[in-house]
Amino acid sequence: MYDSQWRDWKPYVSPNDPCPPIRVKWYIVPPNQFIPYQPMNLPQFPLEEALRRGTLWPALYSPFTSRRSVKGGKPNG
Amino acid sequence: MAEHNEREERADSPKSKRAENADRNEHMAYCSDLEELQVVDFALVELTLYLDTHPMDMQAVQQFNQLVQRRQRLAAAFEMKHGPLLQFGHSYSRFPWQWVDTPWPWQV
Repeated sequence: MYDSQWRDWKPYVSPNDPCPPIRVKWYIVPPNQFIPYQPMNLPQFPLEEALRRGTLWPALYSPFTSRRSVKGGKPNG
Repeated sequence: MAEHNEREERADSPKSKRAENADRNEHMAYCSDLEELQVVDFALVELTLYLDTHPMDMQAVQQFNQLVQRRQRLAAAFEMKHGPLLQFGHSYSRFPWQWVDTPWPWQV
């Protein structure tokens, strides 16, 4: 994956499914899942950038880019 | 169509163009001042939430207090120029009463 926070899983597809199957489901596991207690003195974004990115600390930044561009294919491809 | 163009031409007479430029500059000044304030405010929100769980982080407390000073300066300058930010005694107002004036931040 382009971005390490993305993961995917493949749902079971049954022949009896009424709708076209979604073969791959994508989801994000944001960095705050891996940091139980935020350490002190983490590096910070410059304030203007922090406002744009939505967090003061790069370690916690989790861009939710549209999956269409991230994977290059159809979403839920 | 001709009539439409003609009406447009009349609207673009030089006088309104100068007024238009003044409005645009004022709008840009308002937006840049507001954004400057938003940048500091966002950092203050982040630091407040962080300090709730890290009361012993001296560096963060120092940064927080520096930003509070800066925010107070920015807010005072903004209010002198564009009118009150808060109400019920948290901001001054010039005469006549400015609270009802546009633009409101969400309109800009």
